[in-house]
Amino acid sequence: MLHVHYLPAFDSAPCGTAPMADIYPSLAQCAIVATAFKVLLFPAYKSTDFEVHRNWLAITHSLPVKEWYYEKTSEWTLDYPPFFAAFEWLLSQAAQYADPAMLIVKNLNYDSWQTVYFQRATVILSELFLVFALNRFIKSAPQSNKQLAHIASLSILLSPGLLIIDHIHFQYNGFMYGVLILSIVLARKQSTLLYSGIIFAILLCMKHIHLYLSLAYFVYLLRTYCLDPKSVFRPRFGNIFKLGLGVISVFGVAFGPFIYWNQLFQLKDRLFPFSRGLCHAYWAPNIWAMYSFTDRVLILLAPRLGLSINQEALTSVTRGLVGDTSFAVLPEVTKEYTFGLTFLFQVLPLIKLWRSPGDWDVFVGAITLCGYASFLFGWHVHEKAVLLIIIPFSLIALRDRRYFSAFRSLAIAGHVSLFPLLFTAAEFPIKTVYTVFWLVLFLFVFEQVAPVPERPRIFPVVDRFSLLYLAVAIPLIVYCSLLHQLIFGLERYEFLPLMFMSSYSALGVVGSWIGFMVVYFTA
Amino acid sequence: MAPHPSSYRPRKKRKSPLTSTGSNNALIVDDGKGKYTPAFPLVSFLWAARAGVSQWLILPLILMAVGLFRWAVSLWGYSGFQVPPMHGDFEAQRHWMEITIHLPMSKWYTYDLQYWGLDYPPLTAYHSWLLGKIGTLFDPSWFALDESRGLEDPRLKVYMRATVIVSEYLIFIPAVVNFLRRYTQMHGVPVWSASVALVAILLQPSTILIDHGHFQYNTVMLGFVAASLDAILAGRMLWACIFFVGALGFKQMALYYAPVMFAFLLGICVFPRIQLIRLLCISLVTIVAFAVLIAPLMMGAVSADARDELSSIPLPPLLETLPIELDKSSLLYTPLLQLTQVIHRIFPFARGLFEDKVANAWCAIHTFYKLHRFEATLLQRVSLGATLASILIPCAIIFRHPRASFLLPALSTVAWGFFLFSFQVHEKSVLLPLLPMTLMLSGDGGLSKETRAWVGWANMLGSWTMFPLLQRDGLRIPYFVMTLLWAYLLGLPPVSLEVYRGYRSSDDSSPLPEPHIITKLLHLCFYLAMVGWHVVEAFVPPPAGKPDLWVVLNVLIGAGGFGLAYLWCLRKLILQCWMIGRKLEKDTQKKNQ
Repeated sequence: MLHVHYLPAFDSAPCGTAPMADIYPSLAQCAIVATAFKVLLFPAYKSTDFEVHRNWLAITHSLPVKEWYYEKTSEWTLDYPPFFAAFEWLLSQAAQYADPAMLIVKNLNYDSWQTVYFQRATVILSELFLVFALNRFIKSAPQSNKQLAHIASLSILLSPGLLIIDHIHFQYNGFMYGVLILSIVLARKQSTLLYSGIIFAILLCMKHIHLYLSLAYFVYLLRTYCLDPKSVFRPRFGNIFKLGLGVISVFGVAFGPFIYWNQLFQLKDRLFPFSRGLCHAYWAPNIWAMYSFTDRVLILLAPRLGLSINQEALTSVTRGLVGDTSFAVLPEVTKEYTFGLTFLFQVLPLIKLWRSPGDWDVFVGAITLCGYASFLFGWHVHEKAVLLIIIPFSLIALRDRRYFSAFRSLAIAGHVSLFPLLFTAAEFPIKTVYTVFWLVLFLFVFEQVAPVPERPRIFPVVDRFSLLYLAVAIPLIVYCSLLHQLIFGLERYEFLPLMFMSSYSALGVVGSWIGFMVVYFTA
Repeated sequence: MAPHPSSYRPRKKRKSPLTSTGSNNALIVDDGKGKYTPAFPLVSFLWAARAGVSQWLILPLILMAVGLFRWAVSLWGYSGFQVPPMHGDFEAQRHWMEITIHLPMSKWYTYDLQYWGLDYPPLTAYHSWLLGKIGTLFDPSWFALDESRGLEDPRLKVYMRATVIVSEYLIFIPAVVNFLRRYTQMHGVPVWSASVALVAILLQPSTILIDHGHFQYNTVMLGFVAASLDAILAGRMLWACIFFVGALGFKQMALYYAPVMFAFLLGICVFPRIQLIRLLCISLVTIVAFAVLIAPLMMGAVSADARDELSSIPLPPLLETLPIELDKSSLLYTPLLQLTQVIHRIFPFARGLFEDKVANAWCAIHTFYKLHRFEATLLQRVSLGATLASILIPCAIIFRHPRASFLLPALSTVAWGFFLFSFQVHEKSVLLPLLPMTLMLSGDGGLSKETRAWVGWANMLGSWTMFPLLQRDGLRIPYFVMTLLWAYLLGLPPVSLEVYRGYRSSDDSSPLPEPHIITKLLHLCFYLAMVGWHVVEAFVPPPAGKPDLWVVLNVLIGAGGFGLAYLWCLRKLILQCWMIGRKLEKDTQKKNQ
């Protein structure tokens, strides 16, 4: 058993008389060691996203802006908004010194070591923006909460999600979450609210997945910045003008040229490809994963219960890995349903946000809940999108123990659900050991430092639930990654581990969502 | 059955680092205004643990973190990757797994010797057999006899890498953790400092780069040595013998340590009074351990088939030189043949004085004064004489004063002596002197600037001399990352000058050893030379006639530095011995008064 001395492990100085000292390890120290580790991961597995980004480097470098969204030599066409394309263009200016061959559009699947080193290095360097944003976050925290902010920042910086998705799988999330965090931090003070809105607009023009969070921004900025905090009926025209001008000019710069060239519909088609199915290839751990799981169980039970089975769907269901899921027993889910549900569960927390102007904690909570709603009920959700919940949530997870207990099962489920992204043997120890390391370290530290809530906990059951949940994780991972292959071999029932993992993770995400909803509405 | 009374001992509670006045408190710098800061970055990472967080939490976290770095290094290239026809150490180890699982024992040391014939002691052979058997469960084609030569399946790489890390976590890591626990307890070093030292030791760049990058199983042998030291600290001398035989039986390089172990074990039987029974027990256990080690091989040589096979090989030179005539039909003949063949394979006296370019005395002398002109036997004798001369003093000290606390400096001195002067040294052998030297970080004042500066410097130099080798394996980036990371964590150049900067202590009551000004200058010169060498090596092609110029330069600087490291370890040993002698004198004076 753990014998833990409940000493102030994170207390600032050895003797109590000392003034508030710096907290160690500092953000920079962690960044240095983490960078060393990430550099060592250069030769690790990389997904097709690596080729996606190489292709975008080539497109932005060798074609005029007019043709960026029409080019389709590669199947990985440019489907991020213009600012991200501009970011790629910027990178390509440096890329030509590393290896000009990567900038040729026709060089599909080109991965010389210079290309790999260059692209991996840009991920690490662009992540410096995250370090900057986290540093701002710590500085913005009130003196009494500095230590908590510091710990939360370290947890984001060292997040296994970012490690797996950015530094192995390959994407630029660290950079973009840095922009998001900076925008959230700027929303903390009335004087910088305007910049918060503008930076969020820039972020939207880099990666449109953040549209899912935009309602929270809209409500918060409207209520806190554009209207008088004391009365809804007193608009502050100066602020409305400034914010409107700022946001419109950001969008104008981003999309203006394309509107001018009459390419807006082409952009829309590229950015919002609605032809995809409900569930992504690997099921993201959301409501629809649970729905599919129930459907599959019902197929087995249907003869006994006398339910009718849609035979057409049956053939596709058993394959498990299809992108276009159809259900055999349960009714089909249409896009309209998913949008309706997402909207509904986004609006509920926004009502509270509307009624508490200027409350930053509620704002971050609302962002988190918007992330939850879109992740749980959205159409064709990627498992990577779970960071959209985890990262804003991390900023407030240490508010008190009730927040933390909701965060705990999300941290476990969210990170475990990312495991299927990496399926090669060499990366298996990295993803598991790193995630376990992070979970043990930060869940322990969070447990130690999270303050006791002012009000008693409503659901002590939640704690029991998360403990039980944690206990199941280990045997499940062992089964899915080792035992299953030993029992059934590589080929047979390969959907089973994925289904177990995503259903298990979905349970955790939904559980933490319910837990957090309760905390949010009762706080 | 009742538990043995000595098998359960409650773990001693140690004082919190904050209240103790242990001299290892150099980890926290007090700026005099009540503000405390960590002395170097590694301390920051364990800062939160200084108030006494459970070892049950700290230790797994440390082991996971260092394991991640090991595995990440192992993603890179290995020795002999895509270098047909012979490949490298990776292929050698794989090939041994292949031959041990497919051939009878009598053929292990005789089969196709031109292609990576087995030339390590029997424990390596058994280890290879076990790993080969397990690997065959995954994919038999990895170890198919003769067919699998030069196989470069990425899954095979993952398996082989995993065997290194698993072997290390089963032997090296537990041994080092246990050793540190006992050693720090013995020296009154706080638990927290011990954790800091543990991370520093486990992140030692040269060991990680060679075992997980280049590909070898050195940590198994080093682990046995650490286990042997741990047993000595625990007072279980017989276990110490067994573990040390294990180390020797895994890799003959452990012989570098053998003189000290021998002198120490003999010493405890002679001083303070002669204990014949102890001596008898120790020698008996050692002999039995060796016998058990080679028994399977000998048994394998008895059968009729083995007899035929062994008779067909050329007579091992060792057997040829035997003055007596042997009866070829005797039952003992083939085991003897097998034994001499194993010894012949393990100790290839026929090879040259040194192999490749290695930073020792002979290679350095050879640069200016060609040694080919002398006969091989003369060189062998000179080398033997020089080695003996270099290890004489430390061995004498450890024999006269067989104290556990002298072991680390004595082991490093003797290993440096062997590295510098002995026959057939490999650049990878530098790991041997580096291990006991690095373990000194956990001793009393081990993390003080003086020790940290020297140990850190020797490690940086050691890794640096292996750079030409690592570069060939495609390990350039891991080399830079791991060495710079270690330097950063311990506050060493070229990342930081912390270790050479004097600092003002608020209370001067207990001045901590700081590097002398000459030390500082010497070290800085070496660091400058290393950095300069890297710049030159990377950007300036060597002159036309001398393609090896940079490597030779590396060897020369390295040999000079290792000579200094030898002297420092020797000085440390003599100093410790002298201090203890003085302390004893004082004690007796007090008693007499």
